[in-house]
Amino acid sequence: MTYFLTQLANGLSYGLILGLIAVGFVIVFTSTGVLNFAHGSVLLSGAYLVASLQGPIGFWAAAAVGVVGAAVLGVLINALLVRNLAEANPGTAAILMLGVDIVLLTELTRRIGNNVLSIGAPWGADVVSVGGITLPTSRVVAAGLAIVVFGLLWFLFARTGAGIAMRAAAADSDTAAMMGVRPSRTGAAGWALAGALAAVAGIFLASFPAPGVAPTLALSSFAAIPAWVLGGFDSVVGAIVSGLIIGVVTALAVGYEAELHFLGRGLGEVVPYAVMILVLLVRPSGLFGRKEAVRV
Amino acid sequence: MPDPLLTVDDLAVAYDSAVQALRGVSLRVDSGSVVAVLGSNGAGKTTLLRAISRSLHSVNGAVTGGSIHFEGRNLAQRDASQMVRAGIVQVPEGRRIFRDLTVEENLRVGGCTVRDKRARKEAYDRVFDLFPALAERRDARGGLLSGGQQQMLAMGRALMASPKLLLLDEPSLGLAPQMVEQIGDIIEQIHAQGTSVLLIEQNAAMGLRVADHAYVLEVGAITASGPSAELAATDEIRDRYLGVGSTSPQRTAAVKEPIDVPVHLQRPSRKAQQLRVEDLTVRFGGLTALSNVSFTVEAGTIHALIGPNGAGKSTCINVLGGAYRATSGTVHYGDSKVTALPSHRIAGLGVARSFQNISLSLEATVEDNLLVGRHRLMHAGTVMQALRLPRARKEERAERETVHRIAALLDIERLLGHEVHALSYGDRKRVEMGRALAAEPTLLLLDEPVAGMAHGESMAMADAIRAVQQELRLSILLVEHDMPFVMGLAERITVLDFGKRIAEGSPQDVQQDPEVLRAYLGTAAA
Repeated sequence: MTYFLTQLANGLSYGLILGLIAVGFVIVFTSTGVLNFAHGSVLLSGAYLVASLQGPIGFWAAAAVGVVGAAVLGVLINALLVRNLAEANPGTAAILMLGVDIVLLTELTRRIGNNVLSIGAPWGADVVSVGGITLPTSRVVAAGLAIVVFGLLWFLFARTGAGIAMRAAAADSDTAAMMGVRPSRTGAAGWALAGALAAVAGIFLASFPAPGVAPTLALSSFAAIPAWVLGGFDSVVGAIVSGLIIGVVTALAVGYEAELHFLGRGLGEVVPYAVMILVLLVRPSGLFGRKEAVRV
Repeated sequence: MPDPLLTVDDLAVAYDSAVQALRGVSLRVDSGSVVAVLGSNGAGKTTLLRAISRSLHSVNGAVTGGSIHFEGRNLAQRDASQMVRAGIVQVPEGRRIFRDLTVEENLRVGGCTVRDKRARKEAYDRVFDLFPALAERRDARGGLLSGGQQQMLAMGRALMASPKLLLLDEPSLGLAPQMVEQIGDIIEQIHAQGTSVLLIEQNAAMGLRVADHAYVLEVGAITASGPSAELAATDEIRDRYLGVGSTSPQRTAAVKEPIDVPVHLQRPSRKAQQLRVEDLTVRFGGLTALSNVSFTVEAGTIHALIGPNGAGKSTCINVLGGAYRATSGTVHYGDSKVTALPSHRIAGLGVARSFQNISLSLEATVEDNLLVGRHRLMHAGTVMQALRLPRARKEERAERETVHRIAALLDIERLLGHEVHALSYGDRKRVEMGRALAAEPTLLLLDEPVAGMAHGESMAMADAIRAVQQELRLSILLVEHDMPFVMGLAERITVLDFGKRIAEGSPQDVQQDPEVLRAYLGTAAA
C-alpha cells in the first residue's frame, strides 16, 4: 500500500510538472494558432540559463533570469518568425517551429556538450518522508509551486481584463480586434506565459531525481504532448487534468513494471500515448475539447 | 452645416484583389446624427462598415481607392484596434458575441480600451441601464442568451468603449417584430445620449424610422440618398425596400401569379407524410425551452412556427432534425418515431434542414457545399470515386447537373464556383437552403430562411419556396420573423411564446388573435 501511495504521489507531482508544460502548448495555440514544437527547446534554454548562472549569481536570481529569459525567447520567436509568415496557416507554422526547435537544440547541445549541468537548487537531493511515503523535496516544491501557478493563471484568465481579452481573442480574434483588443499583444502575452511556464517546469525536471541539465531535457517536454492532446488542444483546465492523468499512469507503469513485464520493457514511455489514443477513440475532441454552449 | 464626423470619399473596395465590392462610394455622417445605409443583400453594406472599422483584411478585402476621414484624420494606416481607441466601434453582423464568456466578461472585453476605472464603471451602469435584461443575466454565458439578448449584448459590448460613432451591422437580423421595435428605441436612446450612429439595415422600415439621413447602396454604388422622411416617400424605396405588406401583413400570393420555374427536379421516390408533434417538452438543465407543445404538419403543406426570440422555435426544429433530444413527448413522421432516432437516420426518412446560424463549409465552394447535401443519394463508394471509375464519373456528372438545377431555382447559379466565405449573409442562407433541397427531402425544415434579406428578396424567396414545394410536393416547416413572408407563404401557423403554444390557425386567424398581438406582433401588425 505504501508503495502504491508513493508511486501515486510521485505521479501526481510529475503530472503537475507536465501540466505546466502542457498549459504552455495550449496558451500558444489559442493565442496565436501555432502548434509550438519548439516548446521543448525553449524549456531547455530556460533550464540552461539557470544552470549556467546559478554559480555566479545564486540559484534564485538565476531562476528569475531563466524564467524571464525563456519568456523573452518565446516572445521573440513569435515577433520575428511567426508574425512574419506570409501565409499564416497552422501547418506552415508548425513546420517552422520544428525548424526553430532544431536550431535552438543544436546550439544548446554545442554549448552543453556531454556535460550534465547542475541546476544548483537549494533542495538538492533531499527527500521528504510522511507516513512512510518518501518523495524528493524537489517534487514536493514543484507540486506546491505548480498549484500556486495554476491559481494565478485562473486569476489572470477569470478576473483580469488582460486575461479576459486573451480569452476573447482566442475565441474570435476578428471580433476581439473590433473591440480594441490588440492581437499582437495577446499573442506576445501567450508566448511569454508559455515560455515562463516551460522554464519553471524545466528547473524541476532538471532537479533530483534527474541528474541535471542535459540536451535530452528538451525531449521531456514531448511527454506533455499527450497531455495537451488529451485535454483537448485548447483547454487550460484540460491540460492540467490530463497532465495529472498522464503523470500518474506513467508513474504507476514504471513503478509496477515488474508486474507488467508481459507488456515488455520501457512501458513508461509508451503508456502516455496509449492512454491518449484510448481516450481519443471515445472522445475525439479530448476530455475538455471545445464543446461550446451553443444554440444551434 | 455641422462638422462632419465621418466622411467617406469615392471609396473602392475589392476582395481577393479581384472581386470589386464597392465603387465610388461617398457618404458623410454629421456629429450627433443617425445615418442609415439601406440596400439588398450583397450590395456591399457590410463591406462599407468593415472599410470604416478597418477590419477588411480578416475577410481578404482591401481598400483600393478613395479615402475615409474621421474627425478630419485620414484612416488609411490604422488597424481595427486603433479605430476603437479613435472612437469608432462596430457591432458586427450576426452579433459575434463571445459565446464562452459570460455577459459581464463580454462587456469587459468591449471596455478593454478604457483605462480610467471610473469611466469604465459609468459605462457598465449606462449599458445595464439601457439593457436591464443583461443586468439580470450578467453571469450567464453569452452563447446561452436568446437572439434578442445576444443583439443587446453585442450593442452593449460596443458601447462599453463609449464610442463617438457606433457602427451597427443589421441590428434587427433574426429578431421578432417586437424586439426589432425595442432595438429601434434603444438606438434612439443611444443617439439621445450623444453617440452618432451609422446603421446598416435590411429592415428599411426600421432603418428609416431611426435615421435622420439615409443612403441606398446597390451593387456596390450609392444610388440614392437624402433625409429619411423624403426617401421613405419615394415610390422606388416603397416598392423595393418597404414593401406594401411591411406595415400590414397581407398574403402576397394573391398579388403575384405563381412563377413558372423552368427547372425540373427529380421528384422524391417517397411521398411527404404527416408530421405529428405531441406533448413535446425540452429542458436544458433547469431551463424549460419547450413545454407540452403539440402541432401537426399535414403532408404537402407549408407550416410556419413563429414567436418572440427565445420562444423555443429553433429548439423545436432542432428536436425534429435530431440535434437535440426531447425530454418528453414524441414526434412522428408518418409511422416513424423521430424522437427515437439519431440524426443521420432522421435524414434517411427524408427530413432535411437549414440552420439559423449558418453552418456551411466556409472554405469549400458553393457547388461542393450543395454536393454534400447529395451525399445520402449518391451510390458510388469511396473506392469507386477515388479510382474515378466510369460509373462514378457518370454519377458525379449527373449530380453536378442536379446541383446546377437547384442553384438555378434559388438564383445562386452564378455563385457556384465561389467559396462560401466570400458570400454575403443572404446568399449563404440561399446556399443552406439549396443544400437541404439537394438531399431531396420530403419534409424540409427551414430556420429563418430569409433573415438578412430585403423585402423584395424575401418575396422572391417566398416564390422560390412555393415553387419548390409545388414541384416536389414536399412538406415545409419554417421558422421566420419576416411577417409578410410568413403570412404570404404559410398555410397554417403555430405561435410559440416562452416554450408554450399560444395559438394555431390560418394566417388570418393568427393575425387577429389578441394573444399573438400582445406577445409577438405588437404594433407592427396594427
